[in-house]
Amino acid sequence: MKPAAPGSTLTEIMSQTWAISARIVREYSRQRRNLIFWAVFPALMLLLFASIYLNNAGTASSFDNTPAGILIGAALFFSCLGGTVSLIVTERERRTLRRLLVSPLHPAAYFLGVTLACCAVAAAQTFVVYLIAWLIGARFHGSIALGVAIIALSVCAYVGLGFFFGARFAKRAEDVNGPVAALGVPLLVLGGTFFPITLLPAFLLKLAFLDPVFHMNQALKRATAGETWWNLRASLLFLLAFAALSILIGIASYRQMLTEEKRA
Amino acid sequence: MSVLSFQNISKSFAKKRTLDNFNLTLEQGEVYGLLGPNGCGKSTAINILANLLDPDSGTVTFNGLPHNRQSRRCLGICPQEIALYRDLDARENLSFFAQLFGLPRPRRLSRVTELLQLFHLEQFAGIPIHALSGGWQRRVNFAVALVHSPQLLVLDEPTSAVDMEARHELWHIIEQLRLQGCTILLTTHLLDEAEHLCSRIGIMKNGSILRQGTVLELLREVPALAIATIEGPEKHCLRARAVSLGWQMRSAAGKHICLMPQTQTLAQVVQLFSGLDLASVTVQPVSLEHAYLEVIDGWQAS
Ligand SMILES: Nc1ncnc2c1ncn2[C@@H]1O[C@H](COP(=O)(O)OP(=O)(O)OP(=O)(O)O)[C@@H](O)[C@H]1O
Ligand SMILES: [Mg+2]
Repeated sequence: MKPAAPGSTLTEIMSQTWAISARIVREYSRQRRNLIFWAVFPALMLLLFASIYLNNAGTASSFDNTPAGILIGAALFFSCLGGTVSLIVTERERRTLRRLLVSPLHPAAYFLGVTLACCAVAAAQTFVVYLIAWLIGARFHGSIALGVAIIALSVCAYVGLGFFFGARFAKRAEDVNGPVAALGVPLLVLGGTFFPITLLPAFLLKLAFLDPVFHMNQALKRATAGETWWNLRASLLFLLAFAALSILIGIASYRQMLTEEKRA
Repeated sequence: MSVLSFQNISKSFAKKRTLDNFNLTLEQGEVYGLLGPNGCGKSTAINILANLLDPDSGTVTFNGLPHNRQSRRCLGICPQEIALYRDLDARENLSFFAQLFGLPRPRRLSRVTELLQLFHLEQFAGIPIHALSGGWQRRVNFAVALVHSPQLLVLDEPTSAVDMEARHELWHIIEQLRLQGCTILLTTHLLDEAEHLCSRIGIMKNGSILRQGTVLELLREVPALAIATIEGPEKHCLRARAVSLGWQMRSAAGKHICLMPQTQTLAQVVQLFSGLDLASVTVQPVSLEHAYLEVIDGWQAS
């Protein structure tokens, strides 16, 4: 019996990337918990904020901005960051990581596959959140391409961080939810996910500038209001740099985890 | 030509030597069984072969060349623990791993269907792995190791926790694979399994292979042609009688094991112990179990 002839490295990486992401999306679709956390939870939040803002003439216009915060802060945070952390931990705990290590899977294909799966989930979440928001009456006034770019950069940043936390800190599945919530919720609140940043006191606003979620939220909210690429360049550059940095950190932690797994 | 060769492999964990100058060579087409007590290093040797562990010293060669990324593609490994995606069904698991091994789509589909049939898994279409019983999960775990039709198949306790019927089915599959020319390295604690499947057996203890050979060769490790197992209340008298007959004695599970240099019938043995109170006597030819206990010095102190 002869093994399959290996194709060129690039086609092989592409096919493996596809296999990984298709598998992850398929697994997600079977897990009801994810469906509730990633679709029902943001939808409920949206309805909740709609009833708060729209009930009040002074804040009704703020509702246009609400889907941006709910999407980036709540939906993507939990699916792309929390999802990646728990994916890596489960892979290690269920021993499938060792099986992957024995297969010819290219590490880059694994990383890309997870990112692609997160993009697919993010696209579905974007669709759900904006559909509901549109039905209630929120409108997106800006460039759709700009909105997509901001969402994509946020997904990449979250996936990179997910690899970092999953590979370095979380050893078991029980370790995941606590830290993600403990670290996440303050970052989300500070990042102006749930209310306009004008409500933040000056010292918190200074602190918020260090919070990447703040920049993601602000960029998408301002894009919603119709601001241009040029106006948003500072936020976009920050996001780009942050996404690149988290991906680099994520890759480094993943590689270290693979080496450690060999010694474990 | 040898397919696989471990040469002087040593590996320690926290100063404890798990593999100690481990040497093993596998010939093309043979089924080699690795036996040994818990913790003697069987899985560690397999993990080194799979590149999941780096040895402290020694080398592994595959088809005569240093074992590397390329030759690992010719390896199919069924790990001791179930390592599957629990929310996917058997077909999805098989198909996923086939894709990682680069099987083109038409070949992947036919290979997966072939394996589902071989392991009788078609009946569980659409049922996630977590909803299958342990024995069926084990079959999927085994099938995944075969997706890319490996030249060398490594099975780490493939039939632990499966029922008798399934075990015989898996044995049948292993035999078929051997007939197709696949070389197989398997570990097991079931001596009848090793006896049934393996063309050669290695008995390991403390990280190295103490003895290896065919079943017949290993049986010669026991200095006897037949074994009488005797129970009775007068332990010392039984023992003294056996020794006076020139038999070597061992002991297992509170019973006297007499190594008889000639074959004797049950009636002859009872006759030889006449005058003593006997609770039970059995006579049997030397088996792999006796050889195993003899090699690893696993008899009870009497
Ligand atoms: N990653 C590890 N870290 C520390 N010790 C280890 C590690 N892997 C194996 N060991 C130790 O090495 C020894 C041999 O383990 P191994 O799993 O190879 O045994 P085995 O022969 O496969 O046993 P079993 O029949 O129970 O499967 C054991 O004492 C085990 O605790
Ligand atoms: Mg073992």
